[in-house]
Amino acid sequence: MNMLPAGDGTAQVEHWGGQYLIIQLQTESFGVDITAVREIIAYVVPTQIPMMPTFVVGVINLRGQVVPIIDIARRFGRPATAIHKRSCITIVDLQEGESRQRLGVIVDAVNEVLEFSGEQIEPAPQFGAGLRTEFIRGMAKVANQFITLLEMERVLSLDEMAQLAAIAAGAAAGA
Amino acid sequence: MIDLDPQMAAALQTFFEESRELLQDMENALLFMENAGADSERINAVFRAAHTIKGSAGLFGLEEVVRFTHRLENLLDQIRSGVTDLTPVRITLLLSCGDHIAGYLDRIATDSSLDQVFLAEDLRLLGDLAAQLGSSPVASIAPAIAPALAPTTLALTIPPSPEPEFSNSPGSVQTGNWHISLRFGRDTFRDGMDPLSFLRYLEQIGEIIGIVTLTDSLPALSQMDAESCYLGFEISFRSSANKAKIADVFDFVKESSTIHILPAHSQITAYLQLIQQLPEADQHLGEILVSVGSLTEEELQKALTLQDAGNQGGQHQPLGEILVAQKMVQEPVVQGALEKQQQQREHQVVERQMLRVRAADLDQLVNLVGELVIASAANSLYAAQSNAEERVESAAQVARLVEDIRDGALHLRMIDVAEVFQRFPRVVRDTARTLGKDIRLEISGEGTELDKSMAEKITDPLMHLVRNAMDHGIESAERRHALGKPAQGCISLHACHDAGGIIIEVRDDGGGLNREKILGKAIEKRLVTPEQQLSDQEIYALIFAPGFSTADQVSDISGRGVGMDVVRQNIEAIRGSIEIHSTPGAGSTMRIRLPLTLSIIDGFLVKLATDTFVIPAESVEECLEYPEQQGTVGYMVLRDQALPLLHLTRVFRFDAQPEKRRNVIVVRHGQSRVGMVVGAILGNQQTVIKPLGKLFDQVPGISAATILGNGDVAPILDIPALIHHHTSAKHSY
Repeated sequence: MNMLPAGDGTAQVEHWGGQYLIIQLQTESFGVDITAVREIIAYVVPTQIPMMPTFVVGVINLRGQVVPIIDIARRFGRPATAIHKRSCITIVDLQEGESRQRLGVIVDAVNEVLEFSGEQIEPAPQFGAGLRTEFIRGMAKVANQFITLLEMERVLSLDEMAQLAAIAAGAAAGA
Repeated sequence: MIDLDPQMAAALQTFFEESRELLQDMENALLFMENAGADSERINAVFRAAHTIKGSAGLFGLEEVVRFTHRLENLLDQIRSGVTDLTPVRITLLLSCGDHIAGYLDRIATDSSLDQVFLAEDLRLLGDLAAQLGSSPVASIAPAIAPALAPTTLALTIPPSPEPEFSNSPGSVQTGNWHISLRFGRDTFRDGMDPLSFLRYLEQIGEIIGIVTLTDSLPALSQMDAESCYLGFEISFRSSANKAKIADVFDFVKESSTIHILPAHSQITAYLQLIQQLPEADQHLGEILVSVGSLTEEELQKALTLQDAGNQGGQHQPLGEILVAQKMVQEPVVQGALEKQQQQREHQVVERQMLRVRAADLDQLVNLVGELVIASAANSLYAAQSNAEERVESAAQVARLVEDIRDGALHLRMIDVAEVFQRFPRVVRDTARTLGKDIRLEISGEGTELDKSMAEKITDPLMHLVRNAMDHGIESAERRHALGKPAQGCISLHACHDAGGIIIEVRDDGGGLNREKILGKAIEKRLVTPEQQLSDQEIYALIFAPGFSTADQVSDISGRGVGMDVVRQNIEAIRGSIEIHSTPGAGSTMRIRLPLTLSIIDGFLVKLATDTFVIPAESVEECLEYPEQQGTVGYMVLRDQALPLLHLTRVFRFDAQPEKRRNVIVVRHGQSRVGMVVGAILGNQQTVIKPLGKLFDQVPGISAATILGNGDVAPILDIPALIHHHTSAKHSY
């Protein structure tokens, strides 16, 4: 889960072969491990929760369950995702310690499901992807093009996001 | 340690649960008697608890438990019959034995082995039990001495008065002639037994009135095997011993010989009386007969084996019939026992109106009821929109019923706070002894109900607070005397409902918190600087800092400073809070405030800008129109009193323009009352609490969310946190 050491990186990467859901964020495509994806729903307007960091858009009612919605572009430090008619919410289930956490991620589009073998996946570059390296599981090569495979457990790490939320709430309250 | 099929495993689980409850009952009864003196009803209750545990443990083959409980039961039996008094020393011993049985159960439940320490405790307790039993051995554990060892005691006559050991056992019958029918087995001589020595030994416990030697099975001399025994005896025997005692005499030949021991008719009435005096517990016919002494364990086993053997064709011959046919018991006694059994069963129907339900099933039900509440709210909403009168009416009726179901379902999860408090008498008693202080416990507020999961989580913090108060709060007897206080210290536990929450207080009448000492220690530990100006409340709150302890001496009970911060953490983990009130010289009070954590609450819906928020209705006192002329002063006048105002749009940093019409919702938490300035008021609605999860833990002022009838999510305001934040920050929003 942490940054892969250069030496045994390939051995690790082979393990990551499998099916990936290709999502689109603005102009870029990312791969998300299909085993974490629960469902894809049409965009619904989330209810805002005050004093949260900007990447927490709010919460929605998913068949009686309150699910937090994350703007993943904001999480990457990019401008907020604009909502349009193809926008949708990808619901993911992440294992966080003992519990499973359900989160929704706003994406511009969901394109396809691709299968990558271990050899197709290369370790994350140390820089140049425009993302924190720990968010990247690896780079999958498709038709002379690389798709960044996201490490969703890291991207949507509740511990880290909760800390950021605490800072945001503290700043709002203390101001 | 035990390998069981699933059904048995489930039964074993039930046994563990029931045994723990029984042990708790036992403890309660003992503690009560320690204070209020022995009464036969409670002694019986204790005895029954031990007896039931022993019996059930036997069914599961938990020999260690049976063995230990049996010894305990011997002492209890003596106490029950009045031979031994229930002294404080014995109460302490009995309490320890209860703990020890619980220890056995825990170890069996977790499959862990009985370690050295545990076995040493086992030995110690058994030794103590034996010592308390005194010199009179109990019939059942003193096996019949081998008759061969005592051939010279033939002349010894029975004591003129019945021995005490017999008079107290339940099966004792004062007088009467027993009829003993003996047919020695063929191999008796080969086994090294001499029928005569049994008869001699029999004389030690009674008088042989008449004896007939039966020789009819003796074959012709030519066919007789000199090493075989062909003898039989019919004996009329007078003794005050019970049946088990008599049967014990023939212990060594019971396998090979046919032995019937029948009491005389005079004793049948005595048995019937004994049967009537049995406690009201569900017993099998055999158990009833054994417990009054008219049947021995071996005979019962034999009869049951016969019953099994005769069970081939699916026909179940009643045990009573077998017993009579086998001449083990006379018919009137069986009849009496059957009547008793019937009574017991009827009694049980009344008693057993409790049902064990798995907690997970209950949670599932409560969740479903939550969904039902939401669905019903949506139903009402659409009915109202449709304008069809009948539909509105039926929707209202459904909503009413759903409300009742909701209350009922939630009530299932609630337990009486008395269940939390019930373990404290023991804790206080034991701690007081360890500390060498005389402290009594007062409990009030039973009947206050709280959620079961909450109850489980609050027990440990409470335990710590109580121990702490006993150790640090209450002074030594000499000091109390010098201060003119009663020598006996007092700890009180109190519970009540307040403004949509539960308050649990731990109060002591000790010296109160030492403000200077706490401050000194805090400065020494660099928690605060000497320059800081602190209120009493803030100073008291310092004791919750990690690693803080003012005790000069670290005792077994407390003083390590690891406790109070954990107490606070545990309480805050269940969204509770704790505050300290202290009066120097008069004692201190720890007040724990807990939310009801019901999964459904009555919500008061308000609008802030465009969003809907829920205020728990129980904290709402009244609603007013916002007095526009007040401007932004931050206070308004309510019935000649200043009411601080909290502009929620500003608290939550909404950028929206102030609404045209604003309202003030007066909310109360504890002593503080605040006016929340909101937009429109949408009214009351039942709302299901949906946890927001870890991500939103840190949002001050929002505790959870709910789903409205139209499917939207609405945050639920955390009124105590908002008030607390507002008052402590002293911000004027």
